[in-house]
Amino acid sequence: MVTKTRSIFFTYLRRDLLISYRRRGETIGPAIFFVMATTLVPLALSPEAESLRGIAAGIIWVMALFATLLSVENVFASDFKDGSLEQLLIGPNLLVMPVLGKVMAHWLTTGVPLAIISPILGLMLSLPSEAFIPLVASLALGTASLSLIGALGAALTVSLQKGGLLLTLIVMPLYIPIIIFGSATAQYGIDGFTWTGPLAILGVLFAVVMVLCPLAIAGILRLTTIT
Amino acid sequence: MDWNWFHRMGSPRWFYLVTSRWMPWLSAATLILLVTGLVWGMGFAPEDARQGNSFRIIYLHVPAAFLALAGYFLMAAAGAVGLIWKMKLSYMVMKCAAPIGAALTFVALFTGAVWGKPTWGSYWVWDARVTSMLILFFLYVGVMALRNAFHSQEAGNKASAVLALVGTVNIPIIYKSVDWWFTLHQPSTIKLTSAPTMHPDMFQPLLVMILGFYCFYALALLLSVRVEILKRERKTAWVREIVGEHLTLKDSGLR
Amino acid sequence: MKFQFENLPDFIAMDGHGFYVWAAVIVAALISAWLIISPLIRLRQVIKDIAQEVAIENIHKSEGEGSK
Repeated sequence: MVTKTRSIFFTYLRRDLLISYRRRGETIGPAIFFVMATTLVPLALSPEAESLRGIAAGIIWVMALFATLLSVENVFASDFKDGSLEQLLIGPNLLVMPVLGKVMAHWLTTGVPLAIISPILGLMLSLPSEAFIPLVASLALGTASLSLIGALGAALTVSLQKGGLLLTLIVMPLYIPIIIFGSATAQYGIDGFTWTGPLAILGVLFAVVMVLCPLAIAGILRLTTIT
Repeated sequence: MDWNWFHRMGSPRWFYLVTSRWMPWLSAATLILLVTGLVWGMGFAPEDARQGNSFRIIYLHVPAAFLALAGYFLMAAAGAVGLIWKMKLSYMVMKCAAPIGAALTFVALFTGAVWGKPTWGSYWVWDARVTSMLILFFLYVGVMALRNAFHSQEAGNKASAVLALVGTVNIPIIYKSVDWWFTLHQPSTIKLTSAPTMHPDMFQPLLVMILGFYCFYALALLLSVRVEILKRERKTAWVREIVGEHLTLKDSGLR
Repeated sequence: MKFQFENLPDFIAMDGHGFYVWAAVIVAALISAWLIISPLIRLRQVIKDIAQEVAIENIHKSEGEGSK
């Protein structure tokens, strides 16, 4: 028997996935940005494998971070505009489950594609082959944290008009630990160290974020959208 | 337990009247401590064996950095009190603490940069402390920007209070991460302040400056909060009475 | 404890580090001064504003009474 809380989670997961599918053009935006922005780097720097190899992992991670930031607003923005967010808040249920469902949908449509595409970009930036697996692993795990923290920022700015830039500003400092350990995982792969080390730290960060963020987001939505 | 004192503290009027008595003492203490500490540190403390006289900047850099960090926690705590007990006064303190903390963070960054040039050859070094200071600055700016973005003051207060708390949780995490990242790329760790084994002749003026900066922070914060109280409570009789007093003082040429 | 420098020019020169030390002192002093002066300026403005509001209210009150 499926418990009520779990079915709410899946309801909202499915709902947001469906909405993302219906707006396919918008949904693949982050992936396209990811590829295009990464392409700029050799054009701006140099096409030589030597110079790209050292920074490839970091560049890919930074671009993934930007791509996530671009799309995370949508977790709550469209629902806020058409009133369904308010409906959700008025309801008697726990907010945590719907929030988790929506954030997971975001990760599935943003973070996971980014992780999957990253080897191609790695190829373009002369990323050494030893780094591919750690890169994908770090992106898959790290973007989950990025989605959760980004959703926190999105919840804070959901009722604002020009929320986008402010969202970037407030979320950036919070992203720093994730990007440090995320790109380090790939870098360790290149340098031959055990990359499962930083990956484990990434996992710890994810655990912390996973527990705290949904609660914080639920609280924020209640506090700031019904005044 | 009698919590009356706590809720009384939340009354802006009570706060204003009580702090009125402290202000002259606080101003005096601030002035004395800062002037003493500065003169002592600039002129009388011995110079550092390795760094020479540029090390004197420590008497500005460390207290500013200290207060910048402490100020953030104070701001977040004020936000928490505001969220939990819905105290208007607490939100006022949070609002006023933000720009003061941001300014002190900037002072810490500037003095740190200027200290770095003669000592380690460059104005900027991406070590853990400096980088964390920079991130602290961004955290401050974020809280201020978020608060100002809302039309409703109440929503703005709540949102920025939550953000301040989230930042508080993050500060140790960010520091640890940046520290790890920096030592990863720089095996020879650079220590930006002289080791804790500082000669007492150098340490005493630093203590004075830290105390002085604490008083300075309190002074700046109280001045700001008191103005804010007058602004918010402008319609009340007690505020108008105080305004009247200020005006008659001015008219009689005592100001 | 003695004064560490021979004379005033030496004090300002700080053994070659003078530019850095005094730049730090001046910037810190300016910003700190601003943190104190700014609320004082705001205080003056608030007092002026409130006094004006009271004056306007009094005019309205006396007008109201006059028209009775």
